[in-house]
Amino acid sequence: MRILLVEDEAPLRETLAARLKRDGFAVDAAQDGEEGLYMGREVPFDLAIIDLGLPKMSGMDLIKALREAGQRYPILILTARGGWQDKVEGLKHGADDYLVKPFHVEELLARINALVRRASGWSKPVLACGPIKLDTTAQTVTVEGKPVDLTSYEYKVLEYLMLHAGELVSKADLTEHIYQQDFDRDSNVLEVFIGRLRRKLDPEGNLKPIETVRGRGYRFAIPRSEAEDE
Amino acid sequence: MDADTALPSLAAKPKTSDSPPPRRPFSLAARAALATGFVLAAFLGVVGLTIMRTTADGARKELQDRLQNFVVAYLASTEVGRAGKVLMPDTQPDPSFLRPGSGLYAVVIGDDGFKWHSPSAMLRDFDFMHPLPPGVGQFVGPVDTRMGRLYYYIFGVSLDTSEKKSVHLTFMVAQTEDQIEGSNAVARRSVVFWLASLGVMLILLQLLLLRWSLTPLRKVANEMSRVERGEREHLGDQYPQELTGLTERINAFIASEREQRVRTRNTLADLAHSLKTPLAVIRSSLESAGESGLREPVLEQVRKMDELVAYQLARAATSGRQTFATTAIPIAGHAEDLVQSLEKVYAAKNVLCEFDIDDNAAFYGEQGDLLELMGNLLENAFKWASHRVLLVVKMRPVAGRQRPGLWLSVEDDGPGIDDDKIESVLQRGVRGDERVQGHGIGLSIVQDIIRAYGGELVVDRSPEFNGARFSVKLPPG
Repeated sequence: MRILLVEDEAPLRETLAARLKRDGFAVDAAQDGEEGLYMGREVPFDLAIIDLGLPKMSGMDLIKALREAGQRYPILILTARGGWQDKVEGLKHGADDYLVKPFHVEELLARINALVRRASGWSKPVLACGPIKLDTTAQTVTVEGKPVDLTSYEYKVLEYLMLHAGELVSKADLTEHIYQQDFDRDSNVLEVFIGRLRRKLDPEGNLKPIETVRGRGYRFAIPRSEAEDE
Repeated sequence: MDADTALPSLAAKPKTSDSPPPRRPFSLAARAALATGFVLAAFLGVVGLTIMRTTADGARKELQDRLQNFVVAYLASTEVGRAGKVLMPDTQPDPSFLRPGSGLYAVVIGDDGFKWHSPSAMLRDFDFMHPLPPGVGQFVGPVDTRMGRLYYYIFGVSLDTSEKKSVHLTFMVAQTEDQIEGSNAVARRSVVFWLASLGVMLILLQLLLLRWSLTPLRKVANEMSRVERGEREHLGDQYPQELTGLTERINAFIASEREQRVRTRNTLADLAHSLKTPLAVIRSSLESAGESGLREPVLEQVRKMDELVAYQLARAATSGRQTFATTAIPIAGHAEDLVQSLEKVYAAKNVLCEFDIDDNAAFYGEQGDLLELMGNLLENAFKWASHRVLLVVKMRPVAGRQRPGLWLSVEDDGPGIDDDKIESVLQRGVRGDERVQGHGIGLSIVQDIIRAYGGELVVDRSPEFNGARFSVKLPPG
């Protein structure tokens, strides 16, 4: 999951970026509105976190500009003022959620997960495709009720594929959304992860959850079935 | 700003004290009408008296001339015969002298007991008459006699006879008052009539003039109440010179009140921003750092500081009821905006929010206060609702008040609040749910706003949805 973080306060920006990376997100941080707009246009993010009080270009203008440039990813506003005026205006101009400073990092992570999930059409925190269930809150995966042990990167790859279940996901998409920029894109690490995921999810080889579309990428082949309430 | 420091409303407030209210001084219009009424009455009275006096004097003079003429006429036709025998004429200068009791009488007396009277004076007694020396004339009247009040002209004369003897005669012509009084009364009536008509016309004209000259004052009062209702920004500048001193000062006052408010709000918002970002840094650094003995106590203190800052700032930013609302804020549009925002944030819950808002519903106060009030109540409802939220806004106009009262309620179909919990939910700073952000603060901000506007908040169970219902009543102003 690739996140754009636009925040002018260096300490907050750095601690947040570090924390998000530790949780398996790829983070691009910008320190003012103009830098944020440049990055937000160029990189296919999964989500943007934008502070409203930014130098050079206000957060509100940045949100408007990003939406006008056709960017559809969810945007979460950080605001210190906390007044409804700001919240309403931000949401009206294209933001999807807000968080009032100071916030709990856990709260921020929960909001990010919910927004990303909603953006790919999942309404509940548990993504279910047939027997395979991925709990985005607990970050656990089960197959027919039995827990499957995945590494952090494996989980991220599976989460991305399941979020876009039924859609074609290219290798470039996967690498861009999952890794920090200096990842060696030519290596076959991705194939190795996919191979391991297939063995862990489907040891008998009768579910065939991940389909390879030759020369184009991968597709999570089991259709979505919304999980019943927890 | 506290409600106490807000300006007192210009509208008269009912006093609850026992002593009878002081008598209102007369209105300007009544004063002017009374004053001109008195002056006019005095003036017209003097004019009327003068006219009648002049008329009466004229009539008296005229009467004297007339009676004198009759005397001259009798004198001219009187002859003295031999041995001083006086021969009175057979013809009379006026037919009234012939008719007995006509009111016009002629009498002549002589020294030697000669006595003559006109036929009209038959059987009437003129013993008040006395001889006058020759060449002396008198006009006398009115005199009370048995024939009524009389005016008479009396004239003494000495007539020469052919024997070179002279005869002394006294002529008198008298007229009763009722003859002249008739014409006098007519004249008096017409004077009174014309003067009264003139008086009424002048008073009407005066009232019109008064209305016209007081128009600017009425305009000030009218514009002032429109400013209070928020339909106008300030008073206009089209006023006569005598009032511009007043209106310009009022405008300056309104402007400075608004400016002060904006400045306070901006200062507070800046303060909020500069306090909260460092708090956010501390919190996220600590939360992301590994376990250490410091972490929990510091986080706890940060949480307390955050709540204090958030609560006090929101409280300070609440401006309360204002004498001069910038504008009457239409509620429907803002409610729509808030609900759209909340529907976005709570998209996953799929909440159906219904409105029942009066067409003309408006809020007389700071827009920020309205947004905080509705935003926090609606957010609570969205948070707790399972699928439905209802927002009702009704205006309650009260006769004689510039601004109507406002009833606003938000209900949901969530679990609701048990009767025994309501008290603690409403208690300041109590957080019903630590995980959901800003929960307790939201409600205490709502309570502060309601208090600042002199309203009340009631929490009970929604009769329709069976969840919580928050009802706000703001009084008319």
